Amino acid sequence: MTADPARFKLLVIDDEIQIRRLLRLTLEEAGYGVREADSGQRGLAECRREIPDAIILDLGLPDLAGIEVLARLRTESAVPVLVLSIFGQEGSKIAALDAGADDYLTKPFSGGELLARLRALLRRVKPAVSTNTFNFGSIEVDFTRRHVAKKGIPVKLTTMEYALLQLFIAHRDKALTHRQMLRELWGPKAEEHTHYLRTYMLRLRRKLEDQVDNPKFFQTESGIGYRFVSEPRDATA
Amino acid sequence: MLPVNLLSANLVRLPHAFRKSAALLSRRRLLWASRCDSDRCWELPKSSPVREYVEVLAVIGLLTVGAAFAPLNHLAVGHVYLLAVILLCMRVGPGPVLFAAISSALAWNYFFIPPRFSFQLLDYDDGMLLGIYFAVAIIAGQLTARIRLQERHERRQQRQATALYQLTHAFAGGQELDEALGAAVYQAEELFGARVAMLVARNDGALSLHPAGSFPLGKPEREIAVWVRDHQRTAGRNTDAYPEWAALFVPMTWAGLTSGVLAIEIPEGAIAPDRDQCALIETFATQIAMLVEREQLRAAAEREKLLAESDRLHRTLFDSVSHELKTPLAILRSAGEQMGTTNEAKRIQLTAEVRLATKRLDHLVANLLNQTRLESGTLKPALDWCDVRDLIHAGRWLVGDALVGRSLVAEIPADMPLLLADAPLMEQVIANLLHNAAVHTPADQPIVVTTGLREHGGRNQIFIKITDRGPGLAPELMANLFHKFCRGRSTRPGGLGLGLSIVRGFVHAQSGEVVAENNPEGGASFCVCLPHTTHGSVPNDDC
Repeated sequence: MTADPARFKLLVIDDEIQIRRLLRLTLEEAGYGVREADSGQRGLAECRREIPDAIILDLGLPDLAGIEVLARLRTESAVPVLVLSIFGQEGSKIAALDAGADDYLTKPFSGGELLARLRALLRRVKPAVSTNTFNFGSIEVDFTRRHVAKKGIPVKLTTMEYALLQLFIAHRDKALTHRQMLRELWGPKAEEHTHYLRTYMLRLRRKLEDQVDNPKFFQTESGIGYRFVSEPRDATA
Repeated sequence: MLPVNLLSANLVRLPHAFRKSAALLSRRRLLWASRCDSDRCWELPKSSPVREYVEVLAVIGLLTVGAAFAPLNHLAVGHVYLLAVILLCMRVGPGPVLFAAISSALAWNYFFIPPRFSFQLLDYDDGMLLGIYFAVAIIAGQLTARIRLQERHERRQQRQATALYQLTHAFAGGQELDEALGAAVYQAEELFGARVAMLVARNDGALSLHPAGSFPLGKPEREIAVWVRDHQRTAGRNTDAYPEWAALFVPMTWAGLTSGVLAIEIPEGAIAPDRDQCALIETFATQIAMLVEREQLRAAAEREKLLAESDRLHRTLFDSVSHELKTPLAILRSAGEQMGTTNEAKRIQLTAEVRLATKRLDHLVANLLNQTRLESGTLKPALDWCDVRDLIHAGRWLVGDALVGRSLVAEIPADMPLLLADAPLMEQVIANLLHNAAVHTPADQPIVVTTGLREHGGRNQIFIKITDRGPGLAPELMANLFHKFCRGRSTRPGGLGLGLSIVRGFVHAQSGEVVAENNPEGGASFCVCLPHTTHGSVPNDDC
């Protein structure tokens, strides 16, 4: 399922030259084309010159706040953006995701993780292979029949559980904030009602996960939201 | 330099109780003053000599009239007169006593010794009798007067000793210097039976009035006080400086340092203090200065001790932080230098070392940052509904390698309610506790996480309890377990001892508590409790 990275051109906006060098090393080895910008202004200019396929944006830039860069980017294009933040900045991560960032990574991160996130981001712009069914692990989802099965055995999902699953599949391998999910499923008035989500997530996990206490697919992003991992690596346990 | 600004800052908030006792004191002083005025440092001219003479005259007169009607011979009357004179000695001064002796001798001679109603003496015996009577009256009078004087002196000395003792006591009572000075002012007022004011030297050299005194000082009085402080000499009534002033200004000086000035009002018409009394006042002032000095030395020593303590902490922190930072850095550097090797096996090992060192650095930096967040007071927990399963899962993930190959059992009731917490903080709490359990217990022993809802002290709590089967907690460790830089005896090298301090800080920030104990069946357990709240209803759908 991996995309052919050679087709994709990435823009890295980070003021730390060592991080840029290391990112370039990792990304070029994986076959991506890489351009760099060391400030928010230059990043925006680069983006206007030629729109990349995805942007890796550091939230702690010296000239413009990362959020500000993101907001300006979003007025011009819907290019996928992966934001980089440092430890303990949950607030800015949520703000970035709500402001239109597609995913985030916390420094320090591993190269493997970065590549996995990028693949998921770029998959969205790839033409969909099939829209009628979706498989993950031993789970089969048939959208036309609105039917879900685990290891071939039908699983009965309520309307809301099914809507939740659909939302996850639509945004697979991407972080979703509580706010985004609550708005999508229960409307803008429910944005603060995290307990709705917690309750339904537990129900969904109980029906679809092998181990409720150690979910493989429906992962919690601490303090931020959830992420549906469609192809979990077996090493993570 | 006299750091008295500390106390002058406290001057205003003199405890209420103190004012009350002051009122009591002043009442006592009044009582005492009316009973035995003559004990005071200086006397008000209350018992004027004229009154005493009149009193003597009245007693002798009454006695004479009474004896005239009594069937007594002149010898018995003589003894009665003698008794009266001796009794009068108890009440009046030496002058009136002499007067009593003369007047009673004359009255006796005139009215009672035959021939009566004449000063004539019939025989030699009567003359002898009168002479002896006169001598005995004089001697007895003087002796009694001397005893009285002695007694008065002793009583005064005793009062002074008591006052000085109480002064020392006030300073030794462990109260604030300011309060002790207040007590000293009240004692001075009681001892001298006069209004007293105390001016305390501040750090900047100015004199500030202690609120305990009842003697109001005007501008001129303050100027005299400054002069007294500068010259370290007593001024005021009967001294070389400002003798016309109705007050005495005594410097509180000890070892060449003046810590303030004591001003004592000399009431209108009172007899000025004599040399002895002045000496007493000066002793009192010196005593105060000495105690102030001692108090300040004690405070300075205390500060010194605190500084040394914080210095030691700093050094410990610096030593361990630099060790903890430099070890992984050294590994990274050395591994980096050898990366060019063509030996594949060696390269794989180096990569593993780099990864481990990075994790260690990451862990250390996270702990330091968390501790800093706690101490800077910028930690503002964002409470939201959490599923305890998520928290435990994330906590496990945060610990990473330390838990690999270990059996971790999570006992979560199926109906476990959601809890209101800050997820990243709680995850760190659980991670630190799991990390501790993993590091301090044998690898083949399981770690058990139990959660649930329980009632504690009439309130519902969510608890998350992490139990290990390790050696348990050493008793001497218990008191400081949650303090930073506290590390177990047998701890492996590395670690700053911040883990549990962060646990406690984060849990407290979320209005929870954490308790550590040894299990009866062995091993230690840490129980994190958070207040339980019920969330609103969740929209149901059942199709």
